[in-house]
Amino acid sequence: MKYTFDEIKVAADRLQKELDGLENKADILKSVELRALYEQIKLLPPEKRRDFGQQVNALKEDIAKQVAAADSQAAALPPLDVTAPFDTNTPPADRPHALPVNDGSVHPLMTELTTVLDIFYRMGFTAVESREIDDDYHMFGALNFPEGHPARDDYDTFMTKQTDANGKPLIAPAHTSTMQNRVLQAHRDNLEKGDPIAVVIPGRVFRNEDLDARHEHTFYQLEGVYVDKGVHAGHLIATLKTFLQTYYGKTIEVKTQPFYFPFTEPSFEFALSCPFCNKQGCNICGQSGWIELLGCGMIHPNVLREAGIDPEIYTGFAWGGGIERLVMMKHDIEDIRHFESGKLDFLRQFS
Amino acid sequence: MNVSKNWLQQYLSFELPATVDLVEKIGAQLGAVETVTELSDRYAGAIVVKVVSCQKHENSDHLNVCLIDDGGVVQGVERNEAGLVQVVCGAPNVRADIMAVWLPPGATVPETYDKDPFVLTARELRGVVSNGMLASPRELALGDSHEGILEIHQDFQPGTPFGPAFGMDDAIIEIENKMFTHRPDCFGQLGVAREVAGIMGRPFTSPDWYLQEPVIASGEGLSPKIENVAADVVPRFTAQALKGVVVRPSPVWLQTLLARVGARPINNVVDVTNYLMLLTGQPLHAYDYDKVKALTKGDDAEITVRYPRAGEKVHLLNGKTVEPRPEAIVIASGDTLIGLAGVMGGANTEVDEHTENIILECANFDMYSIRRTSMAHGLFTDAVTRFNKGQSPHQTTRVIAEAIRLLSEVSAATPASQLIDLQAGLSEITGLNIKLDFINSRLGLHLTDMEVITLLKNVEFETYDITNLGEIFVKPPFWRTDIQIAEDVVEEVGRLIGFDRLPQVLPSRHIVPAAKDKLLELKKAIRTSLSRQGANELLTYSFVHGNLIEKAGQNVDQAFQINNALSPDLQYYRLSLVPSLLDKVRPNLKAGYDRAALFELGKAHNVGAIDGEGLPQEFNTIALVYTAADKLKPAGAAYYQARYFAQQMFDDLGYDIEFRSIETLPEIAIIKPFAPGRTSLVYLAGSDIPLGVVGELQAGVRQAFKLPEHTAAFELTIDGLLNISPRSTRYRPLPRFPKVEQDICLKVPADCTYGELSALVEEFMRRQERLDSHVEPLDIYQREDDPKHRQITFRISLASYDRTLTDAEVNRLLEELSVAAKDAFNAERI
Repeated sequence: MKYTFDEIKVAADRLQKELDGLENKADILKSVELRALYEQIKLLPPEKRRDFGQQVNALKEDIAKQVAAADSQAAALPPLDVTAPFDTNTPPADRPHALPVNDGSVHPLMTELTTVLDIFYRMGFTAVESREIDDDYHMFGALNFPEGHPARDDYDTFMTKQTDANGKPLIAPAHTSTMQNRVLQAHRDNLEKGDPIAVVIPGRVFRNEDLDARHEHTFYQLEGVYVDKGVHAGHLIATLKTFLQTYYGKTIEVKTQPFYFPFTEPSFEFALSCPFCNKQGCNICGQSGWIELLGCGMIHPNVLREAGIDPEIYTGFAWGGGIERLVMMKHDIEDIRHFESGKLDFLRQFS
Repeated sequence: MNVSKNWLQQYLSFELPATVDLVEKIGAQLGAVETVTELSDRYAGAIVVKVVSCQKHENSDHLNVCLIDDGGVVQGVERNEAGLVQVVCGAPNVRADIMAVWLPPGATVPETYDKDPFVLTARELRGVVSNGMLASPRELALGDSHEGILEIHQDFQPGTPFGPAFGMDDAIIEIENKMFTHRPDCFGQLGVAREVAGIMGRPFTSPDWYLQEPVIASGEGLSPKIENVAADVVPRFTAQALKGVVVRPSPVWLQTLLARVGARPINNVVDVTNYLMLLTGQPLHAYDYDKVKALTKGDDAEITVRYPRAGEKVHLLNGKTVEPRPEAIVIASGDTLIGLAGVMGGANTEVDEHTENIILECANFDMYSIRRTSMAHGLFTDAVTRFNKGQSPHQTTRVIAEAIRLLSEVSAATPASQLIDLQAGLSEITGLNIKLDFINSRLGLHLTDMEVITLLKNVEFETYDITNLGEIFVKPPFWRTDIQIAEDVVEEVGRLIGFDRLPQVLPSRHIVPAAKDKLLELKKAIRTSLSRQGANELLTYSFVHGNLIEKAGQNVDQAFQINNALSPDLQYYRLSLVPSLLDKVRPNLKAGYDRAALFELGKAHNVGAIDGEGLPQEFNTIALVYTAADKLKPAGAAYYQARYFAQQMFDDLGYDIEFRSIETLPEIAIIKPFAPGRTSLVYLAGSDIPLGVVGELQAGVRQAFKLPEHTAAFELTIDGLLNISPRSTRYRPLPRFPKVEQDICLKVPADCTYGELSALVEEFMRRQERLDSHVEPLDIYQREDDPKHRQITFRISLASYDRTLTDAEVNRLLEELSVAAKDAFNAERI
């Protein structure tokens, strides 16, 4: 700023000198010099007042900026030798070291996911993580949801301002099924070799819902896909039952309820006899003896076809279920929001 | 979807099982049952009575004192010598010789049954005892009408229990709507009745009026003109004018039927349209003919089905006025809109007590158009629920014919015009040839053709054996718009037979081991390493508030923005994980955790970073924040603690890395929160493959998150490691000769980094042949009076593979080392 008034020029010089000498830079804003300039504005003839006032304000802003910069610089710490393993002049006791191993913890959802994946690995399933941002095609199109289909309403999807190549908003996946088309394509070669496609897909999914003790907008799902010649719905039920019996380490019963998903036909809701009370009825199963766990079904021929697999020759099944539910039941966790709370009170209970 | 067990029973040729068994069957083979409500108890005390006499109450201008005949069925109530019971009633329509519903003392008012039950007593009203009350429709939970008592115009023996007489001894089974997303027919009681028969293995036959194309009586007197200029989204529009309508409350059987499944009785005309919708899934609408005609401003009423014109508005039955979206289907009369088609009718042509002539509409609208209109205007009606599932256009004439028949019964209406049936290319229903093997192989069953045919015929499919080669012909009935491909038939067969009857066998496969996923395995190893170092894994949201990004010194323009989040905390996809972790530091300190290391494995996104699929690149990163409260007076810089965790982690993973100092930090979102001068970049050792950043936070960031000064973090991308194998081992054979340890202290200029010096030392030791050596930093010291130098001490342990080392040999070696250090850095051995 070029100051045109002599009074201001002089004051600016004086203030700068005063500032340089100050220990506490903020004190300059209370300077007599500055206050005098403001007093002077009132005494000026109206035609001069506006320009003069603007320049005084500009001067004050400039000084305030210098004060802020000095503050930040004061808070900034001197450079370090970042290539060293410990700081200069620190005695051995003060050097970096691990924290008590008993305090360390893996997130309970991730621990459970590892357990679940391990069982599926042993059952012959490979695994791949799902995406956290995807397009409309993988969320709906590839899964036999026609444009404008009411079934799309069942997924409260988050959408971005930014768009995909087709000009559609990008989507935060509301289910791990967004990966079905990708894994079917990636493992299509298996079928020609006479091997099945057997993949499980863990990942984060999102629903644009209000939070409460039972509802999260962010949660984890595990998707499973199995395709081969001659696969039927009985295989699906037996596979899930075998997994659950291994996971819970006991004999259980399972049952299915018909359901509707556009990407499976037929579709089911899958329930198991409560492993915590052996069907006697308890708080976990709401006294019903049964726990509804996941959705599943035979992969819709359109989904197979979309991935370049001939549904006349190959059939398959898929399922998807939440991980939180398993963990909440296992540990009797009362509020789903704890998982993403970052609270050590919660996390260290799983150390 | 509320289903009435008694209503279903009317259409079934067999006795339904006990409700609990029926519900289990429905759950297993039709869809999840949400609730079951038994209505019997609600109407436990209500009795149909005859009002024998009705006299004005002496002390009241509106009350009447009635004597009622209950056939003597109610016990313990005061009666006169003729056995009649006295009830005081204030309803304007109460009079002698009508049939009404009596709630005797001890009965609960049905309206209050599931709220705050009100139990009636015998009490005085202005000096006259009233034994219970005569009930209004509202008190009987039959809608809002409270102007008078419910009159029953049917002949009943006084004393007949009201509930059973009108089918109120019912169970209402609520089935989850989601189950029927693809089943328009199941949004009607008829469709559910058919399914129930099917899953119980019983044949079902729809009533004739639904199965056969109707012969519709024409009438004369009115000439409505109807035009459909939106044929692309209105495949069929059927309408007929009726005259001589007497609008009044519906007969009690109709009111009770509607009320049972949760529909509010309004008047006979509206109730008939609702009744048929609830029965068949096909919505109808009745317009007041004369109101339409007035709007047409001509001799006859004209209706146009079209798209809205710019600026047009429709005033709806719910009192709201909306400007329909341009693609909405509207019903217009002349220049005035009289309905939002398939969604809600207009208030300006509403049927009311003065209505004499009506136009009855029974149309088929495009399900997608109706859904979008409903969403655009936030209007969710029973008609929308049904239309947006894709009702069959083949049922409009059948349903309107039945509606007209019923209207003549309950409202004296007669046809006043011909049936107008505008069709725009109705799709033909075609059949499918399906191999039996196709069905059996997908279900794992061995059904015979006859078994399949029987199952499908039970729910009125047209189906027969084509050949003896195991192929059948299947043609779905017109209402099954969901059956299009052979797999749909497989589902139908499986569901009708019961999926729980499928053989539970595991698939067989080759014993090829399943490949483990590299990324998931790497993440698992990272978790193990960091948790073993006492760090805590946490998970935070992928979406963050814009403030969080800015507080971390990052730029929101680089982040993918969420358009429709319910919460402002979820505005953006995060640019990196560190800011989310910083956000969790202060709450945990306040909770009493004075020292902690928090880490998270997650994905970061950045506008402009596009992957091979053309989608936003997903960066898999691992972030950690270490902090210690001021009150612990932590010594040394926090940086070194964060560096320690990273170093240990990579050691565990089997990767050699380097921490490099850098003068100016690159302008990258992930690095933005870090403080220059106190941050290093991490590289795979001896390579240019960057892995990430370790450092302390900028002063501004520290202040914004209210972090203790002793806080440091790292964020490392792990995608780069996936294609690089970890080193296998560092094993070195054990020397047979004794090990000697010797310290060496080198005084170097302050600008010589530890990294440079230790690299020289290690390289020097590595060059020594037949010698096993370990170099360990012992001390880094700077004298207060000499800021220009630092003294760095290493402890070197040595052992030869060939002989016992002498002191002289060791000294000579260290002397050589100090010369090398002097040459390189002007170091001086102390």
